Amino acid sequence: MKNCRIGVYICMCGTNIAKMVDVEAVSKFASELPNVALSRTYKYMCSNPGQEMISQDIREHQLNRIVVAACSPNMHERTFRAALRSAGLNQYLFEMANIREQCSWVHTDANEATEKAKALVYAAICRVELHEELESVSVNMCPNVLVIGGGIAGMTTALELADAGNNVYLVEKNDHLGGNLARVDLTAPYLYSARDLITERITRTFSHRKIEVYLQSRLTQLTGFIGNFKATISSINGKSTDNSGKTEVEIGNVVVCTGYKEFDASRIVHYGYGKLPNVITSFELEKMIRSGRIETKEGNIPRYVAIIHCVGSRSQEFHPYCSRVCCMTALKYAHEIKSANPGCYISDIYIDMHAFGKGHEDFYRRSSEAKTLFLMYEKGDRPVIHKAGPKDNCEMLIEVNEKLSGEVIEIPADLVVLMVGMEAREDSHEIARLVNISQDKEGWFIESHPKLEPVATTTDGIFIAGTCVAPKDIPDTVAQARAAAARILARIAKEKIEVDALYSEVNENLCSGCRLCNQLCPYSAIEFLEDKKVSHIISALCKGCGVCVAACPSSAIKGRHFTDQQVLAQVDGLFGID
Amino acid sequence: MATRVNPTFIDDLDSFGAEDVQLCYQCGDCSTVCPHADEVYKFPRKSMRLLQMGLESKLETTLEPWLCYYCGQCSEQCPRDADPGETMMSLRRWLIARYDFTGIARKFFKSRATEVITIIVVALLTGVFMLYYGFSRGSIHIYDGESAFLPSPFIHKFDLTLGALLALFLIFNAARMWYLVMIRGTSLKVPWWLYITEFFQLPWHFFTQKRYAECEKKREHAVYMPWIIHLGLMLGYVTMLILVMVFIEHLQAGPDIKWQVHIFGYLATIGLITGTVYFIRSRFKKHYIQYKKSHGTDWVFVVLLFIIVLTGMAQHIFHRTGLYEAANITYIIHLMSVVPWLLRMPFSKWAHLIYRPLAMYFAAIRRKAVFQQEAVMSSYPVVVK
Repeated sequence: MKNCRIGVYICMCGTNIAKMVDVEAVSKFASELPNVALSRTYKYMCSNPGQEMISQDIREHQLNRIVVAACSPNMHERTFRAALRSAGLNQYLFEMANIREQCSWVHTDANEATEKAKALVYAAICRVELHEELESVSVNMCPNVLVIGGGIAGMTTALELADAGNNVYLVEKNDHLGGNLARVDLTAPYLYSARDLITERITRTFSHRKIEVYLQSRLTQLTGFIGNFKATISSINGKSTDNSGKTEVEIGNVVVCTGYKEFDASRIVHYGYGKLPNVITSFELEKMIRSGRIETKEGNIPRYVAIIHCVGSRSQEFHPYCSRVCCMTALKYAHEIKSANPGCYISDIYIDMHAFGKGHEDFYRRSSEAKTLFLMYEKGDRPVIHKAGPKDNCEMLIEVNEKLSGEVIEIPADLVVLMVGMEAREDSHEIARLVNISQDKEGWFIESHPKLEPVATTTDGIFIAGTCVAPKDIPDTVAQARAAAARILARIAKEKIEVDALYSEVNENLCSGCRLCNQLCPYSAIEFLEDKKVSHIISALCKGCGVCVAACPSSAIKGRHFTDQQVLAQVDGLFGID
Repeated sequence: MATRVNPTFIDDLDSFGAEDVQLCYQCGDCSTVCPHADEVYKFPRKSMRLLQMGLESKLETTLEPWLCYYCGQCSEQCPRDADPGETMMSLRRWLIARYDFTGIARKFFKSRATEVITIIVVALLTGVFMLYYGFSRGSIHIYDGESAFLPSPFIHKFDLTLGALLALFLIFNAARMWYLVMIRGTSLKVPWWLYITEFFQLPWHFFTQKRYAECEKKREHAVYMPWIIHLGLMLGYVTMLILVMVFIEHLQAGPDIKWQVHIFGYLATIGLITGTVYFIRSRFKKHYIQYKKSHGTDWVFVVLLFIIVLTGMAQHIFHRTGLYEAANITYIIHLMSVVPWLLRMPFSKWAHLIYRPLAMYFAAIRRKAVFQQEAVMSSYPVVVK
């Protein structure tokens, strides 16, 4: 390529790279390559002086391509692209060679590592020669939002967005709002009434003039891309624009707040749920508490109540994860049962007491003070519930290998409460497919980054919040709901959204209209233009993954920034030195 | 076979003083800090757990509460304020009630009123009986000799009768303790000759209370004060008991002081008065953690003993100074407190005088038996199932 002036920068990363790779040798090697105008090493290339050095060199030496050999591009590609921009150079005229994670950190022979670093740098130089100037595209942002799920998370998001003046369409499967929280009496650890928490939300949601609530409805189709989605809502209660029960709305973002369902306790045979009448789940107890009388099936006040933790949670057979809320809920039951029947003795049979949140440890202590008997069992060594004999003076006996005492004990119980864990809804995969997000092996929706992007997904414009992501308590759910709303409000405020220039393009002259790519696209980004009989890629949806590029039998698709020539030049470079 | 948990047990132990045991979450700090806990006797942690779960059958056969002398380090260390020291104390009370076949001890521990009323009734009966006896036989103006108000041969016989009654109860209860601990509570085979080789433990612990001295490693005095005071009190008490039971006729005779007998009486009195005053003061001032919580029976114990010592001293002084009427009246008051005190002995805290050395003796036998069994086991190849 003519007029190509490449600047090569080899980072030492303190000693992270320099202790295994001879950076000076790599730099010398690079400086002797054709088109390389200059080559430098530096202690920390990502530091402000490092970036400044690159910008200055671009201006002083008229560099028009930059290669930085340093860490993973995941770490600092953005940093160096910014350095290019500040010097007035298009940010895509840049390539990074990863000589830390893929070289110095994983090798023990300094000579070989240095040779590999040279190959990686050479490959990057070969590639960068073919880089083109690319421009990001910007699209309009529709301020309307679709919220799926009318629990505490959905209502909170909807209210937050609507209060800021945006139209919100709230879709709820059931005939009422409130979700799982509406089934609960008090909340742990401060014993606030759940009803008080949600009735205010429900009333406001229904009466808010910016919120349109669709009860007994589902999302049946979602097309388009960030800022420009079209959603189809199907209702069975007839609330729709026509009589088909279907409503089409235009939205810019979607928040999925579909929540959880409880574990089916009858799957654990040891506990006899469904067979022993006085073995009940936590939600059945909630119902009793709300009706104002805790009693056995025979209508007696129980003298001994046993609460068993981790039903379906923290086990290899069912769900390996912790459901997070059950420990404190169990303590809450101990409190509620004891307040209702002071003569009642409560045994709390647990694996570990997870009292991680604000006020939880205090609540645990108060529960001890109230003489709740805490009994610990080993993970995987579940208690077994038997029917008691006529002389036993109780309904059931629970046999446990008690871990703290080392004794095999049997606990008398008239009522056994199973703390059923949370699991992903059985229809969550349908939602995932509709809105194009991923699920983990347990069925929970996957965040785009577990720590830094807890409510975003890999599909732009689709957010997730609450217990459809993973088990969590009310404060965490509300925080996520508000976080999702905040993310959306920030985008709405900008009115337009920048989409990365890394997308693929179809050369319509070469496209045969076979539609192979349409089905393969993991982001549903390819539409078929019926009039022209060719496929078309919606750039805002495309992530530039390259699946269609590889699949196209006519080689009609070009992955921008990942063209065949660029990738082949890189491969040639990798093998081009001896 | 699974052991049945009794969730109501913890409520029963409330009245014995274990008010905070439910707070324990078994971290084990108490056993770590305890100078007496070891790999065989894992108290207080294990005992606290058994108590929480109400495993009575395990608790009644345990020796562990007796191995604790309540220095209070565990209670100071406890992160949950579950008061392991006081729990061990409560378990000792509960065990005294458990060893007692009459059920009287349990009633006394559970109800302050029952105990105090019983003491008052017995005291009044004693007073009436002594007054009746005195006035029918002798003269209130004479203290010793043939026509004394309360002649010493009569008191001697009276004391021996009481002593026999007392011994009877104690032997029964000690036998029950032996049965619970060594038969029901010991699964391993205990060779009979260990009872002989370890017998020295009984007098050794009785007269030295060596383990008490080992309590509380970080202490401000060179000698652990509660130990030395307690030892003085106990030796004074035993000396006085022997003097009263065997040498009362020499002790009561006057007006000359028989030094070969009386010197023991004076020394014993010093031990008793120092001990009772120290413990009453401690229970009021609460400067050591072990005196922070006083059960009703603790107060009855020290106060009654203090009255006995005081009236005994007063009687002796009045007699030697010729105030015979005063001496006789104080004697009646003295006896009015001594009789309920002695009759209460097998059913009260006092019984630890017997149970503690017995426990040390049994513990040593059990430990030896465990080690012997381990030695036998380790000489065979281990079969892992």
